[in-house]
Amino acid sequence: MGGYYWIASYPKSGNTWLRLALWSLAHDGAVPDLGDDRLNQVPICCSRMEFDNELAVDSSDLPPEQIAALRPRFYEAQAARSSEPLLRKVHDGWTLTPAGEPLFPPHVTLGTVYLVRDPRDIVPSLAHHAGITIDDQVASMERPAIILAGQAQGITMQLPQCLLNWSAHVASWLDAPGRPALVQRYEDLLGDPVAALTRIAAYLDLPATAALIDRAVASTRFDRLQAAEARTGFFERPRHASTFFRRGRAGGWRTSLTRDQVGRIEAMHGAMMARMGYL
Amino acid sequence: MLADQGLCGWRVRSEIVLPELHPWQGDPAAGVDLVIRLGAVPDRLDNPIHVGALLQIGEDGACRHEIEGVATFHLDAAARVITVHPALSATDPAIRAFLFGTTFSLLCYRRGLLPLHAACVRVDGQNGPGVIALAGPSGVGKSTLAAAFRRAGHQVLGDDIAVLRIADDGIVTVLPGLARIKLWGESLHGLDLPSDGLERVTSKLEKFILPLDDAGSDAPLRVRTVVHLGWVNDPRHGEWRTLRGMEAVMQMSGNIYRHRYLARISAPGDSVLARAARAAAGIEQHLRIRRVQDFAGLDDLVARLGGLDARAGV
Repeated sequence: MGGYYWIASYPKSGNTWLRLALWSLAHDGAVPDLGDDRLNQVPICCSRMEFDNELAVDSSDLPPEQIAALRPRFYEAQAARSSEPLLRKVHDGWTLTPAGEPLFPPHVTLGTVYLVRDPRDIVPSLAHHAGITIDDQVASMERPAIILAGQAQGITMQLPQCLLNWSAHVASWLDAPGRPALVQRYEDLLGDPVAALTRIAAYLDLPATAALIDRAVASTRFDRLQAAEARTGFFERPRHASTFFRRGRAGGWRTSLTRDQVGRIEAMHGAMMARMGYL
Repeated sequence: MLADQGLCGWRVRSEIVLPELHPWQGDPAAGVDLVIRLGAVPDRLDNPIHVGALLQIGEDGACRHEIEGVATFHLDAAARVITVHPALSATDPAIRAFLFGTTFSLLCYRRGLLPLHAACVRVDGQNGPGVIALAGPSGVGKSTLAAAFRRAGHQVLGDDIAVLRIADDGIVTVLPGLARIKLWGESLHGLDLPSDGLERVTSKLEKFILPLDDAGSDAPLRVRTVVHLGWVNDPRHGEWRTLRGMEAVMQMSGNIYRHRYLARISAPGDSVLARAARAAAGIEQHLRIRRVQDFAGLDDLVARLGGLDARAGV
C-alpha cells in the first residue's frame, strides 16, 4: 500500500514552482514545457475525475458536505491501489470532515511539505491571480475560510476545497498529527533554491544527486519560467490573470501595498507572522 | 401499478416513478426486461470480488451501491432486477440521479453494452441521421453543449451516459436513453434558459432537470462521431484534431463510464479495452476538442460540429 506526501500551501506560496522542480528532478533535470498539461508530477489532491473514478460515484450530484465526508475514503482507496508514494498538491486547510474525521487521513499520510510565504506578499500576488482588488484580497484573507472551486451554480474539474484564512491554514498543517511537516519558507526557497530542494527531496525520500538538484533548479529558474510562459502559455494560468509567473520575489509588498493594507494584514495575522519569522 | 416504460429498448416495470423514461411503445405482448422495485438490500454481498466505500461487486456479478442519505441500490446476478432501498422519499429525484449512474452502467455492461460517459445529439447529414457523442469527464461541459445543440434545433438523445451497442458487423449504435439533461444554474443562465418550474436533482444543489420531450423513444441510431472533450484556460492550448488508431481507442477507453469497475466484471477476451477498441473502430470519426469553456463560443461550436457530417460526406 502506498501513501501520500502532501505538498500543501496557501495559494501563491511557491507550490507551483516546487511541483515543476519535482517534475524536473524526476526527468533528469529537464526543462518543463509549460504548454503541456501532462506536467502532472504532483496532481491536485481534489481531482473530481479521480474521486469519481475511485469511489464509483458522480460527485456532481452530491452536496459539498457529502463530498467532504467521502474524501478520506477516496484517499484510502487510492493509496490501497498504489504501491508507490503519491505526491499531491493541496490548498485545503488540514481540517476535519463533517463526520469529524481528518480530511487527510493520518494512516495514509507519509509526510507533508508545507510552503509558507509572507502574507503581505501573498496579497498582491493572489489579487492578480484571482482578478480582484488588493483591498478585496485583504478582506478575503480575514474571513475564517473561503471555498475554492465551490459548486454554488456549477462545477469545475476540482472538488470544493476549504481554504482557511492564512493564519489558521498555517496552524492547521503545522499542528496536524503524525510526522511533522517539513516547513519551507518561500523566501528561503528564492534565496537558496538548491538548499531548499535538497532538503525537500531528502524529506520525500527522492533519489537526487547534487548535480541533478543543480540541473532541476537551473531548469526552473523564475526568469526561465516567465520566458517559457510568454512563449507557450502555462496550462495552470487562470483565465482572468494575464500571467501566472508574475514577479517571483520577496518583499514586493513594500511598494505594492498601502500602509493601511499592511496594517490590516499585520493586525489579523501578526501572531502567526511572528511565529514564521515575518515580524 | 405504474405503466411500463422503455429504456434502451427494454421493457421496464418500475415501482418508482421515472419521468425520464417514456411509456413502453414496443410490443404489448413483450416480456418485462428490467424490474425496478423497492425493498431491502443486504449489507454485504456474498463472495464479493470488490468491497469499496460505496460499491460492492459480487463474484456472480451482483452489485450493491450505497449513497448515504439517499438510497442503496442492488442489481441482481442475472442483471434483471434492481432493488432500491431509499433513505429518502421514494419520489425524491436524487434517487433517480444515482440509480441512473453507477448501477445503470453496470447493468448495461452486464448486458453486453458499452456505457460511454457522453451526451448524444442527432445530426442529420447527407447520408441520413447520425449521432454525435459528446464525451468527457464530469465538469467538462457535455450537458451544456448538448443543451446548446437543443437550442439550435437538434434532437438531444440523452446526457451523461450513452449506451452503445456494437453489432456483429461492427456498426455502433446508441440506444434510446434518458429523456433529460441535468444542468447547473450557471449553464441555464448562460444558455438563457429559465429554471422556473424545473425539478432539482436534489434540494441541496442548484442543478436542475431539463426534460426532453422528444428524446428516448426513437430506435437506435448510428454513432458517426465521438467528440472527446477537454478544456483549457489559454486559447493557445486549444485543440481540434482527428484521432486515429490507438489514440482513438485510448480516448474511448478513458471515457467509458466507470471503466475501473467494469473491468472487474469483464469476461476474459471481453475487457473494457477490447470493447472500447471495437467501438472505436466502428465509429467513423473521433475528434479531440479542447477549448476555453465559455458560453459565447457554444453556438459556433454547435454550428461547426453540426456541419461536420455533411462536409465529411459520411
